[in-house]
Amino acid sequence: MSEWQIAAAALIAALVPCGWLCLRRSFADGLVALQLAGTLACLALLLLSKAESRQPFADLALVLAALSFAGTLLFVRFLEENR
Amino acid sequence: MSVSDAAVYALLALGVGAELIACLGIAFMRDTFDRLHFLGPSALGAVLIAAAIWVQQGPSLISLKATLLAAFLLVSTPTLAHATARAARINELGDWRRQPEERIEVEER
Repeated sequence: MSEWQIAAAALIAALVPCGWLCLRRSFADGLVALQLAGTLACLALLLLSKAESRQPFADLALVLAALSFAGTLLFVRFLEENR
Repeated sequence: MSVSDAAVYALLALGVGAELIACLGIAFMRDTFDRLHFLGPSALGAVLIAAAIWVQQGPSLISLKATLLAAFLLVSTPTLAHATARAARINELGDWRRQPEERIEVEER
């Protein structure tokens, strides 16, 4: 395994506590965990594309960053209205 | 191992370390507002990982994409943290501003 694959594996493993928070804690806590999970997934995709020397795959990371930003903003709106 | 290899390992380890610290902080802090503070290291980690790719690869398309991603995360993460904190306060108290029942003292000027 190269250093990039090890780093990507560590980031993917770090998604587990985020998922646990989303499932077990409040909506606001889950939202914070979702934000971190978006960042972790973007970076893991970037590192995997670097590890496999497939630079077009890095576009997936960019698209995921943009979409997770929009998606989280939508959930923020729900949190605001969910009184 | 050359100097640039050592720099790549160090930057990658620091970047992944920052992400893991953010993950641990979010998992173990007490409430939502404490957890929000740990989104900061995650954006910093993205910058360090992009720097590691730059050092290893030099100017190339993947380095450019990594820089774009780091720049986007550097802007979007604090924006989302602010929006989430605001929404959490509105959800909890009805308004994001200071409430009398919170007993927060502010020095009058």
